[in-house]
Amino acid sequence: MSNKFWYLTKQSLKKKIKSKWFIGVNIMLALVIIALININSIISFFGGDFSENTKILVVDKTEISYPIFEQSIKTIKKENEDAKITIKESNKSEKELKKDLKDNQVAIIFENDKDEFIIAKVISKEKIDNTTYQYISQGLNATKTSVALVKTNTDPILLAKISSPITTERIVLNDKKSVDENMEMVMGSVFPTLILPFFMLIIFLVQMIGGEICEEKTTKSMEIIISNVSPKTHLLSKVVASNVFIIIQGLLLVLYSIVGILISTKGKLSIDPSIDSLLTATVESGFLDKILTLLPAIIVMLILSFLAYSLIAGILAAMTTNMEDFQQIQTPIMLVLLAGYYLAIMAGMFDGSILIRILSYVPFISCLVSPSLYIIGQINMIDVIISIIVLIITIILMTKYGLRVYKVGILNYSNEKIWSRFIKALKSKDM
Amino acid sequence: MLQVKNIIKYYGENKAVDNLSFEVKDGEIFGLLGENGAGKTTTFRIIMGLLEATKGEVLLDGEHIDYSITDKIGFVTEERSLLTKMSVKEQIVFYGILKGMKEKEIEKELKKWLKDFQIESYENRKIKELSKGNQQKIQFISAVIHHPKLLILDEPFTGLDPINVELMKKAIYKLQKEGCSIIFSSHQMEHIENFCEKLIILVKGKPIVDGYVKDIKKEYKKKNVLIRGEELPLKELEEIKGVISVTKQKDEYEVKIESETVAPKIFAKIKNCNITKYDVTEPTLNEIFIAKVGEVHE
Repeated sequence: MSNKFWYLTKQSLKKKIKSKWFIGVNIMLALVIIALININSIISFFGGDFSENTKILVVDKTEISYPIFEQSIKTIKKENEDAKITIKESNKSEKELKKDLKDNQVAIIFENDKDEFIIAKVISKEKIDNTTYQYISQGLNATKTSVALVKTNTDPILLAKISSPITTERIVLNDKKSVDENMEMVMGSVFPTLILPFFMLIIFLVQMIGGEICEEKTTKSMEIIISNVSPKTHLLSKVVASNVFIIIQGLLLVLYSIVGILISTKGKLSIDPSIDSLLTATVESGFLDKILTLLPAIIVMLILSFLAYSLIAGILAAMTTNMEDFQQIQTPIMLVLLAGYYLAIMAGMFDGSILIRILSYVPFISCLVSPSLYIIGQINMIDVIISIIVLIITIILMTKYGLRVYKVGILNYSNEKIWSRFIKALKSKDM
Repeated sequence: MLQVKNIIKYYGENKAVDNLSFEVKDGEIFGLLGENGAGKTTTFRIIMGLLEATKGEVLLDGEHIDYSITDKIGFVTEERSLLTKMSVKEQIVFYGILKGMKEKEIEKELKKWLKDFQIESYENRKIKELSKGNQQKIQFISAVIHHPKLLILDEPFTGLDPINVELMKKAIYKLQKEGCSIIFSSHQMEHIENFCEKLIILVKGKPIVDGYVKDIKKEYKKKNVLIRGEELPLKELEEIKGVISVTKQKDEYEVKIESETVAPKIFAKIKNCNITKYDVTEPTLNEIFIAKVGEVHE
């Protein structure tokens, strides 16, 4: 019997991997992932440039503004790693500057003013993007303040103190653990990116197992298969095959990402500054520490969730008699999954809510919600363990009662509504 | 030998099979008849071990049928049960391995069967590209590739032209000679009459006719008298006590009678007519089926 089990598993896996659907989806996924990682290069290729520096040429008619403005821009660049600005003093006249100004250049002319101390003209060929303009305005305002203080003979030491950024100490009284505001940013960007592949893999899983069982049933080949292997062996072979399939698919997603990064860095494993700053934020926020602590639990929970989803998809697919039925049964599974996904990325909004804590125990969504709540400190390891135990109990119950439904369902072609067939099969004692 | 002993099967409150018993010896072809919903598919599923009988037992060569011996059974389902995206070879290898065979052994057997059915060139063709008749042949091959001890044929001739029906009959007889017990189900009574030595007719899961075909026909009292002649006294014939009906069929008349004893009275009435045919025949299985099933419904 075990030979037949492995043969069915191998056959099911081979069929899926050799299918045009799998090849097509993977070509698309590879292209999308590589393209997203290299989006800057693609945009540059078509004429845009995210990483191009804005060169500021400064004509200082006041004779004291340039060094102060240069210092302000340096401070801004230090505080904002994405600020791509360079600064240089120019001796050209306004007319010459306007004539020679290039697309990526901005000319600033400082002039003395009786009332305002200094005024500045900002000249560019095209509109300046919002962020760069904000940095320039910030620099100009700081320069004006400093020039004003100098002109009003303020003590240089006092001036330095006034100009230096404020020292802040962050204390949150209502949190037991140290909290960094970076965590919000990480939860808003890193976490959804991390769980998106799992969301996709579960969709693949449900479609694979359900589609295959539905096909075998609608072609009536199920009768022949089930006359040779038990329904239990059949269902388990599908579960194993579909789980191996999504592991392969998951590894392929990692491979596409590595290829994308290698293309982006032209073979050198250096990290783009924007990704680097995100990684720094991830480490500094404590996100990485928490996710590493939780990693064994996350792996167990994911494997169990994959099992649970494949079992439920298989059991429900056994009740189908045609592809429309299969589409109908997919909907609730997808809705539950989607709810889990959104709850996970919006977990921070439900600070202190008992409901969200209870939802983190709910099988099928716990694998998404629990890690999210643990990372933001709303639940602890005991809650995560409770989620795992609930998931295990669910799998045991699904195996016990689900197999009953499966055995009855795969040979049932009645025209009754799918859910009433399901209930009848559940009540059936024909094991 | 297959032994079905007093099986009863309930679906909820509905009795699908009601105390059914029969035996199919090695090399015997057995007919299982019944109108739609009579319990044939349930009976087949119980025999195959797919369903458990509420009561009774099914033995193959003295052993209870479970997954340890289902490799000895072959099943041709009424509707096609093929994975149409597969090629012929892939499909037969798939079912063959599920029957416990080795791939090389399956390929060797497949070549023989494809030759017998004159479709050798279809080995690597996708099943969905084949005609209905050829798909039926592939379905048959998939059921017998492992030389089963018990073969269940549910409407095996569906979609086949007369030439291919003959090819399949030959194949079935070949298996019969090998000692395979065959259960045959069809709505085409002439196939049952040709093939089966024994049969059962099921109505609402209950066997209403059971035994050897020749005995069933003999025991069925009603006969048919076929007459061909000129100026036959049709009205007088209809008035004879024991005559059920007189109908014209092409160039002759069929007189249905209550029993064989009525036949001499008919002959007495027509002996002076210019008759070229007078034949007292046994009823067809089709007539017995309609009559017996009708009686139960009345």
